[in-house]
Amino acid sequence: MKNIKIRINDLNFFYKKKPVLKGLKGEVEEKAITTIIGPSGVGKTTFLMVLNRLCESIPDCSVEGKVEIKLDGRYIDINSLPLTTLRKKVGIVFQVPNPLPMSIFKNIAFPLKLSGVKDREYIKEKVEQALKDAFLWDEVKARLNDSALELSGGQQQRLCIARAMIMQPEVLLLDEPTSSLDMEAALKITELLKSLKEKCTLIVVSHYTSLTRKISDNVLTLKDGCLEISENSKIVEGLGTVN
Amino acid sequence: MNRFVEYQIKLFCWISGVVLIGAIGILLAFLFNKGISSLNLSLIFGETRLLDGLLLKTEVVDGLFPAIIGTLLLIITSIIWAIPIGVAAGIYLAEYCNIKWKPVFNLMLDVLAGIPSILVGLFGFAVSVFLHKHLSEHIYPCFLISSLALACLVLPYIIRTTEQSLVNLPFSIKTTGLALGASRLQNILFILIPYNLSRIISGIILAIGRCAEDTAVIMLTGVVAMAGIPNSLLSQYEALPFYIFYISSDYNSQEELMKGFGACIILLSICVFLFALSHILKRRAVMRFTTHT
Amino acid sequence: MKPSIEKLAEKGFLFSALLSASITILIFSFMVFFSFPLFKGGDIAAFFTLEWNPCEGGFGIVPMMVGTGIIASLALLIATPFGIGCSALISVFSTGYFGRFLRKVVEFMTGIPTVIYGFIAIFLLVPFIREIFKKGTGMCVLSASIMLALLILPTIILFISDAFNSVPKNYLDAADSLGATPVQKLVYVIIPSAWKGIISALVLAAGRAVGDTLISLMIAGNALQIPRGLSDAARTLTAHIALIIASDYESPEFKSIFVCGLILFFFTTLIILVLRLLGYFKILRNR
Repeated sequence: MKNIKIRINDLNFFYKKKPVLKGLKGEVEEKAITTIIGPSGVGKTTFLMVLNRLCESIPDCSVEGKVEIKLDGRYIDINSLPLTTLRKKVGIVFQVPNPLPMSIFKNIAFPLKLSGVKDREYIKEKVEQALKDAFLWDEVKARLNDSALELSGGQQQRLCIARAMIMQPEVLLLDEPTSSLDMEAALKITELLKSLKEKCTLIVVSHYTSLTRKISDNVLTLKDGCLEISENSKIVEGLGTVN
Repeated sequence: MNRFVEYQIKLFCWISGVVLIGAIGILLAFLFNKGISSLNLSLIFGETRLLDGLLLKTEVVDGLFPAIIGTLLLIITSIIWAIPIGVAAGIYLAEYCNIKWKPVFNLMLDVLAGIPSILVGLFGFAVSVFLHKHLSEHIYPCFLISSLALACLVLPYIIRTTEQSLVNLPFSIKTTGLALGASRLQNILFILIPYNLSRIISGIILAIGRCAEDTAVIMLTGVVAMAGIPNSLLSQYEALPFYIFYISSDYNSQEELMKGFGACIILLSICVFLFALSHILKRRAVMRFTTHT
Repeated sequence: MKPSIEKLAEKGFLFSALLSASITILIFSFMVFFSFPLFKGGDIAAFFTLEWNPCEGGFGIVPMMVGTGIIASLALLIATPFGIGCSALISVFSTGYFGRFLRKVVEFMTGIPTVIYGFIAIFLLVPFIREIFKKGTGMCVLSASIMLALLILPTIILFISDAFNSVPKNYLDAADSLGATPVQKLVYVIIPSAWKGIISALVLAAGRAVGDTLISLMIAGNALQIPRGLSDAARTLTAHIALIIASDYESPEFKSIFVCGLILFFFTTLIILVLRLLGYFKILRNR
């Protein structure tokens, strides 16, 4: 019996009055990697942004329906949580890495600063731990005060993951995290995601490549505004690599 | 269209360009020719010694020093009013404003930006008359009124620059902070404003340039030809642009006229410097946009 | 951050925005307030007469309105062809060295204070005009219009060349591939496509021309008459306001300047509304 972290019921999403997600239903397993695949433009990124209510920053959008997340053993509607709390529990990493124009250290420490944490020693510890969790510590430990914009694409993406992980979120959303990276960097990220599984629930939007096939526990297909559970074998036979 | 007509059109365009450059060239050459000879310390300090004048020990009566100080003080006080209100209003319009009210605000601010400066000066004058009658007999057009009026004049520049810099950001920059759990205010203060600092400062410098060169507003709100350095907010004062205007209509000797040209060169240098600085900062801001993917 | 700080900050931002917007309303109110006694007294018709002679009770500001109209229109007339020509040069014919230099010169011009244009004009242009007409002081409609044209040219040029540059590239490519010469491209593709931008630039420049004080104050002669020729001196509404300001507070003479102010305010609002219709502000906001 799987533990369910997120329950979605009858989710509708409208952009400029046109429906993008229609009556979406689904469940996301706790502490597992769920991959969401589907044709381009079908609304995968939109779906992620509903989960942490980032869609509210997009003009001309409206959302209806119920999304519940399990916190402290209870299922809570995400609309009833304060936005800032929700986003600390549900982190997100985007397709194109977006480090802030600050030093590497400051980037990672930024969420702590937002929460008002002032203890320097504590911050240093947390930053080091987050960088280690993201497999980035060894590469940057000697240059924490250098600008984050100077890192390579793959390093920047791992930085973004570290930054999202520092608040120990319960869910981490990743929107095609490896699509802007070369093969080697993508491999590193994929290994990283596998290791993060024990710490939090992962939802990855991706093309169903050989990489994601290796690490995914569940695969959901987003088609025509609805989510369908796909059996691994069915994917290999029917859809192949979806572009 | 036959080739002759085409040739005419092209020729006309080239002539326009040459005429324009020629006109400006002649103007500047004339200015420097006449004014360069009077560019020395006595232009600014008159008969008083440099140190005495600078430390305000003796009053400078026949130099530009009081006018230059007047202009400087005017700029500083005006932007002290204008920056906080302007930046805050710009932030409101960009981040918090209800879609219904935006057209109203936009209309009000666009009209304010388009109002002729003499009208702003007239407004300042009217305010001082009003206060004189209803508040205190001591209030006349003065330094304080001038700086408030100038602040009203440049407010639209600062608001527009701040608002546009915040609105024209790529979605990823706007939401990075929010995605990390920042509140709206934290996002604005810690990410958006620092990111746009160059643009906002460029707008402020533009406002400063406007304060330095304006004559119409100050003419109606308290500037005079001879007042020394203002010793209180309610006193009258001198300013560089007004000195130039005054000299043009009331000069007693060739020497005084040359001083006018010298003053022109000084004012021109200040303004061109400020506009160039503002331009450079805007360019830098644009470059930052394009290198950050 | 505490929610109370957030709320406070938001209120502070709102307050600033309201304050800024209300300045416009305040300006309008003050103009109305100070001219109101005249509206009430029914004397308002007296303002729209031809005689300005305070001693004899004549407060007609029509000469000033005509002065503003003629000088501004003439300035626009002079500046428009040169403005379009220079813009065409910068954006179409000479995108290299000379064009870039010209653009830099124009940008430089935006930094020149108006009072300096006036000052130089008094000692350079005015004697020249005096020679040409062989009568008068040289301070006349023509001098003022020429300098005013020079003043508004940068606005026109920068705006029109931006409009030219915003013409979609596929139109230009289409013209090129059909073998059009640069002039043909300009006349048949670019100008028709950018006409809204051109009109906006001219409307904006008209606003500036009408609102400028110093040029007409310093070189138009300030005579209280309706100018009948280019060599006649004239006075604009703006210069009138500046000149009268030294009078005492209660006379109708004094109140007349507020009527001038009101007229200028309406004119500005009209310009803004026209520009809105042309979509000028949409272009500006998307820059």
